[in-house]
Amino acid sequence: MIPTAALELQQVSFSYVEGTPVLRDIGFSVASGEVVALVGRNGAGKSTLLRLLNGLLRPADGRVLIDGADISERKVSDIARVIGTVFQAPEQQIFNVSVRAELAFGPSQLPLSSEEREARVEEAMRRCGLGGCLDQHPLDLDQATRRFVAIGSVLATQPRILLLDEAQRGLDRDRRELLLRIVNQERAAGNAVILVCHDMEFVAAVADRVLGLADGRLLVDAQVGTFFADAAAARSVSVEQPQITALAQALGLATALKPGDLVDQFSPGRGSGGAAKDT
Amino acid sequence: MALISVEHLVFAYESDGPAILDGLSFEIEAGERLAILGGNGSGKSTLAQWIAGWLPRGTHKAAAGSVLVQGRPWSEVPVRERTELVQFVGQLPMQQLSGFAFTVWDEVVFGPGNLALPAEEVRRRAEEVIAICHLDHLRDRDPFSLSGGEQQRLSIAAALAMKPQALVLDEPTGNFDPESRDALLTQMAGLPRDLTTIWCDVALLPPMALATRFLLLDEGRIVLDGDAATLLAHPRTREIFGLPAVAEAALQLREQGLLPAEGPLPATLEQALPLFGGLAVEGHR
Repeated sequence: MIPTAALELQQVSFSYVEGTPVLRDIGFSVASGEVVALVGRNGAGKSTLLRLLNGLLRPADGRVLIDGADISERKVSDIARVIGTVFQAPEQQIFNVSVRAELAFGPSQLPLSSEEREARVEEAMRRCGLGGCLDQHPLDLDQATRRFVAIGSVLATQPRILLLDEAQRGLDRDRRELLLRIVNQERAAGNAVILVCHDMEFVAAVADRVLGLADGRLLVDAQVGTFFADAAAARSVSVEQPQITALAQALGLATALKPGDLVDQFSPGRGSGGAAKDT
Repeated sequence: MALISVEHLVFAYESDGPAILDGLSFEIEAGERLAILGGNGSGKSTLAQWIAGWLPRGTHKAAAGSVLVQGRPWSEVPVRERTELVQFVGQLPMQQLSGFAFTVWDEVVFGPGNLALPAEEVRRRAEEVIAICHLDHLRDRDPFSLSGGEQQRLSIAAALAMKPQALVLDEPTGNFDPESRDALLTQMAGLPRDLTTIWCDVALLPPMALATRFLLLDEGRIVLDGDAATLLAHPRTREIFGLPAVAEAALQLREQGLLPAEGPLPATLEQALPLFGGLAVEGHR
């Protein structure tokens, strides 16, 4: 039996101004435990699409389904119990006076025991590396730490679908690895993650699948290795291949998504071609 | 005399708080293309604001040291003169739009219009920076209706219209797609040669396309002051940022003895191709 998609869009269209659609006839589904990257140039409609998923915007046409049920009549606060959103700027969603209060706000809105709420805060703090700043004002923290406060506040509600809008932006290596770990934990827990991302190195490292938007249409829906191996597909949605993929291609080697994929093809005992993992 | 002199600067936001900048000293000469790179919380945005004269403010004081602009501390430079010395473009362009302008044109003329310049000079400057920043087709648009990338270009145009001697940019390409990033890099490369640019970032590759001198900031201290090759070879660069993928692959092949241990690491595809191409031909093709 094919499992019900965690999330499904059917022929979704949307316009901010009547007659000039931002999104046209978008259809795709995302399964539980799947990590999907939404890519395309600035203004392609990626952030708008996220807002259609979390109910902040409603489609002009078409339907958004969670677990097979249409969400058009559901309140944003109900949808938020299933879909958690980390917006581009943490300042857009942080409003409490301490990191602890920010992490506790989501669970406080849910029917949970105080012990369970406490445990949720503790877990979000640990996963996001916020142990050292629980009593600080979030806006006194540097940008990257604020981002993890926003991520932690969403994780504390334990959404089954996590939306990340450019969450990797401005992160150094340690923080990128922390974000990568969080996304991998979500996948392992059977939750779906949809990330809007301009950074193709990060997409190559984290995503299972890529959805490419251009001019409001879904032009590409492919597994990540297939997508990046096809330079024309990447160009059609105005993104660059990861550096290492382009290098492997120029050298006539098998698809590489990470430096190790290329290095393996030169290592003793490994011939060129066919050595790299393609997904 | 250096345009900017940072002298033994120690700074904390709170008097009993940790030092964000911990004893920095360096000079920036007029016309330099400098990048200040560092990890999250390394102090680069704070340093950028010091260089631009935005810090200290209010109750902030340097615990020690100072920043001099053309030999004078910022506190001795009149406001009007400040605006013509150093301009700052922050991470969120939306936050620095004047709010007084209903069009891109009005936003660009807002700054020079407040310098009591002849109207013709204001118009001439606006036309010039609109051309440099490729904003001509947007001149009648509401600044708040622009995309993030367009707003960033507008912020830079408005800063350039003040004819500063130096421009400080804090993570200017963070949210750009490749096309917008390349447009900004082209725009930056076309800036007047005598304009000093100070580009602060947590990403390596965009500033490497422009800067010729790199400061690596680590826990409030400068651990490197050198060129791109020196930066890539520094062990903290790999730890803080991760190397560009082609440099990481080259380093791993060096560690396996498959590439010579000498010579600069490649940062771009163009630099990597001859290096790896030779290896492919010799060993495995």
